[in-house]
Amino acid sequence: MGARSNALAALSFVSLSLLAPDARAQLARFETAHTVYHESPTRTNMTVYTPGASIAVSPTEWLGIRGGYEADVVSGATVAVKAGSAYQATNPGADVITTASVRDLRHSPTGQVTLKKGDTSYAFAYTYSTENDYRSHNLYVAARTDAYEHNTQFELSYARNWDGVCDRIQGVNDRPPRFRALEDSSGCFTGDAINRTRRSLGIDGFQATWSQAWTPTFVTQLVYTAQILDGFQSNPYRAVILGQGLKAQEHHPDDRARQSIALRGNLFVRPIKTAFRLGGRVYRDTWDIVSGTVDAEAERYFFEGFRGAVRARYYRQGGAVFWSDDYTGGAPPLGPKGQYWTGDRELSPFWSMLLGFRATYALEPAKKIGGFISAVKASVSGDTIAFDYSEFTLGGVPITNARAFIVGAQFGMAF
Amino acid sequence: MTRARLPTTRTLSAIAICFALAGVGCVTVKPQQRSVLADPIMQFEGDPQAAAQLRHAIENREGSYGGSGVSGGGCGCN
Repeated sequence: MGARSNALAALSFVSLSLLAPDARAQLARFETAHTVYHESPTRTNMTVYTPGASIAVSPTEWLGIRGGYEADVVSGATVAVKAGSAYQATNPGADVITTASVRDLRHSPTGQVTLKKGDTSYAFAYTYSTENDYRSHNLYVAARTDAYEHNTQFELSYARNWDGVCDRIQGVNDRPPRFRALEDSSGCFTGDAINRTRRSLGIDGFQATWSQAWTPTFVTQLVYTAQILDGFQSNPYRAVILGQGLKAQEHHPDDRARQSIALRGNLFVRPIKTAFRLGGRVYRDTWDIVSGTVDAEAERYFFEGFRGAVRARYYRQGGAVFWSDDYTGGAPPLGPKGQYWTGDRELSPFWSMLLGFRATYALEPAKKIGGFISAVKASVSGDTIAFDYSEFTLGGVPITNARAFIVGAQFGMAF
Repeated sequence: MTRARLPTTRTLSAIAICFALAGVGCVTVKPQQRSVLADPIMQFEGDPQAAAQLRHAIENREGSYGGSGVSGGGCGCN
């Protein structure tokens, strides 16, 4: 009873704080961002539209509240059955690669509370995500502190995901080489479909960040990220040809540990009013994927409030230890690779190159616009990515001229 | 005869990090010198929502991850 009274008193205090904020500290910010992604490698034309909006309020100096919503509107095609050159060579004339049309809608509401005390702040967030064949609950906590006259910032963050993936119920006596791929998302998560089940995936993510201002115009950031995944990580819709007449659902290991270290720097060159950013990241995981990323960006003020940026990013990765373009045979690197198989081109060796631009206009007038808008910001961006897959083929036919185009627009207001 | 063991890469990395952390205390950018640092152009992620959407689009096409946050949920990975 006493504990309950204390809890009610605390809740009342928080509610009253929100209802009667300190007017001097009151600030709200609204942002909306929209991104369209389109890619056109052979046989797939995937388009994803991602709209998002958020509103953040700071009723007091020590409290920040943010609520947001994001969606993914997906349409296109995906490879449903994957085979390689060796199998195609023994089955000439047969079109062993099939694609399936994809239409999906992901909704993702999120809420975050930030508490500040002195130079330290704590953030707590929850994000729910739902789509036809995937459910996700994400809890996020972070702590950040400033040191050495605000020239140094340390941040630790942790996130936990409880995810569920729709899958097909397999035969009681069947083993993975006999598993059949999920036909479609009908009946997923409804509880009344006799051949649908929910496979779980737990994800733990940890990140440590050290940001440092070295001079009045030079800052660096060092980031270590680790992630542990435990559960179903295959694409339930995708099947891989393992032998003559043997087609099995993609089968990835249940466990995966991932680590990366990123280092980036930002230098402002006063005479030309331009900031140069250079970053690099190395990554390795227990599936033996090793990758490296280098990105560079230059951003310049052209006139008061308007700045433009150009950017480039190079990415290169090796394949997973169980990756093979054809599990039925052929000369290395083709052939069977043990108890796991995949048709995922993101687990194959490849490199990609991104080139893009961004233009931003920010207006912060001395007098509020309309008496209540204190700042406005708008930006547009465009990027193109070229992919080069060194081993991945569709029935022995390499994917050539794979391109993706990303267009973004953002608008924000502060009150 | 016992051969002296060379320090491992991990040990050297740990020593380097300790020196770096100790060294940052000597760095003094005074408050009146922070005008450029406070400018949006010096932020690593000036537009977090737009940056997160771009990252979401790119990372779903790669086998790797990390360096820019651990929050967020869902797959959206068709």
